[in-house]
Amino acid sequence: MKKKYLPLLLIALMYGCIGNDYLMDEVEPELRISASLDTIAINSSFQFEATYLNNVGQEETVPLNWESSQNGIINIDENGLATATNTGQSTISVTYESPEQVYADSVTVVVGETSVVIEDDRSGSINTTSSYVLTGDFTIEENGSGIVVTFANNYQASSSLPGLYLYLSNNPNSIANAHEVGMVDVYIGAHQYNISEVGINEYNYLLYYCKPFNVKVGHGEIE
Amino acid sequence: MVKSNKMNWKSILLIAGIISIASPLFAGGPWPQARGNGYFKLYQWWTVFDQHYTDTGELDPNVTTGVFNTSLYAEYGLTDRFTGILNAPLFSRNYMNNLISSTTGETLVEGEAINSIGDIDLGIKYGLTKPGSKFPVAATLILGIPSGQTAGGSQENLQTGDGEFNQFIRVDAGTSFKIGKQTNAYTSLYTGFNNRGNDFSEEVRFGLEAGAGLLNSKLWLIGRLDVVESLKNGATAATVNSTSIFANNTEFSSYSLEAAYYITPKIGVSASVAAAFRGEIIAAAPSYSVGVFLDLKK
Repeated sequence: MKKKYLPLLLIALMYGCIGNDYLMDEVEPELRISASLDTIAINSSFQFEATYLNNVGQEETVPLNWESSQNGIINIDENGLATATNTGQSTISVTYESPEQVYADSVTVVVGETSVVIEDDRSGSINTTSSYVLTGDFTIEENGSGIVVTFANNYQASSSLPGLYLYLSNNPNSIANAHEVGMVDVYIGAHQYNISEVGINEYNYLLYYCKPFNVKVGHGEIE
Repeated sequence: MVKSNKMNWKSILLIAGIISIASPLFAGGPWPQARGNGYFKLYQWWTVFDQHYTDTGELDPNVTTGVFNTSLYAEYGLTDRFTGILNAPLFSRNYMNNLISSTTGETLVEGEAINSIGDIDLGIKYGLTKPGSKFPVAATLILGIPSGQTAGGSQENLQTGDGEFNQFIRVDAGTSFKIGKQTNAYTSLYTGFNNRGNDFSEEVRFGLEAGAGLLNSKLWLIGRLDVVESLKNGATAATVNSTSIFANNTEFSSYSLEAAYYITPKIGVSASVAAAFRGEIIAAAPSYSVGVFLDLKK
């Protein structure tokens, strides 16, 4: 009898092998200029930088092509180093030609007496993508070499998720290559996160994720 | 009653809930074993789930998770009224799948598994009515021994036990009768209270069971309905440093169907399926069980 029913038990045991779950994590690739320069001082230089995020939101080093629409006003070399030579304004463009598509970003810069870098605050709203409560507005501002994420009074998150973590990510569905801010310990009301060594334009999403079980709870696009 | 907030992260887990679905499958009924009689079963119980009931009772996905128990269940009549009960998961396995990027094929999170002994239940049933009573009533005390592993894997979120010592006391009442002239049948109902440790919420449980012996009582078909209601008086995720997605306060209503076939007058095989049709913070997938049993009273 043992022989007869042993296969059933073995099948049940083997069913416990680790398999694969697949995460739909594709996003639209993008190329973006990191610094928001409004005005460059005449006869000075500014180093532009650009970041290419691939189809999973991961930063990737790619060959970039820098151009200035008005070379007599602002010259820019192949490494993104811009030099203002005359008053006026010029559009600085960066492009990356992948085998499938051309990605581009641009910024219009004025040549003036002093350089002005725009320090725009960013903001957005988080929303649940699950059955767990997650809602609220937030702002992000620079603070030295880091940023401060401030949630408004209307913030609320479910306390039924013991492993709820906050991430900064460039992919709204994945924490791969994301910056882990930490475990959530405030579930209602205004609060702040001070995050060091992160640029204000470095990430596009706040992502709430249940880390132990790899379940997304919700996200907010940083606008 | 509000319990303290000292429950550590080890004490919270879905596994506690999903194993609870299997728990009513044993120790049920108001019929203690006669002295020297016994019922012993070696069985495999398992569930694999990729979604769960959330705290609002809705369904959310999760990484595919499996729990497998190879267990020994035993009832033995110490006297005509006292029956000793043991349910021992001798081998328990909990795993989670790999998480793979559908875009790049890269493994984002490596799957993990742990294997150990599970939580052992020890119990005693006492017949409150005389043996042979038309409407027997019995009381059962089951002690949940936290012998399983409470934290495994890199995230320490794999478990084969809930880490808490609980005391479940239940009262069963029922009756046996015949359907027609030949078919033996029975029905019973129970209610009980599960006092749980480590700041788990206490539970009220109740349910009913009915069975009929076909083929001259060689084949028994059994149906059960079980309800677990949490008092929600334990710690919440907000107050503990838990690594688990599933907090305390599991609730569910479940059904189970079991077939047991006597191959010989003493030896048989059984198979069952159980599933929650309503739940909070519990796996939303059926659990299955197959086993071989020895019934000494036949």
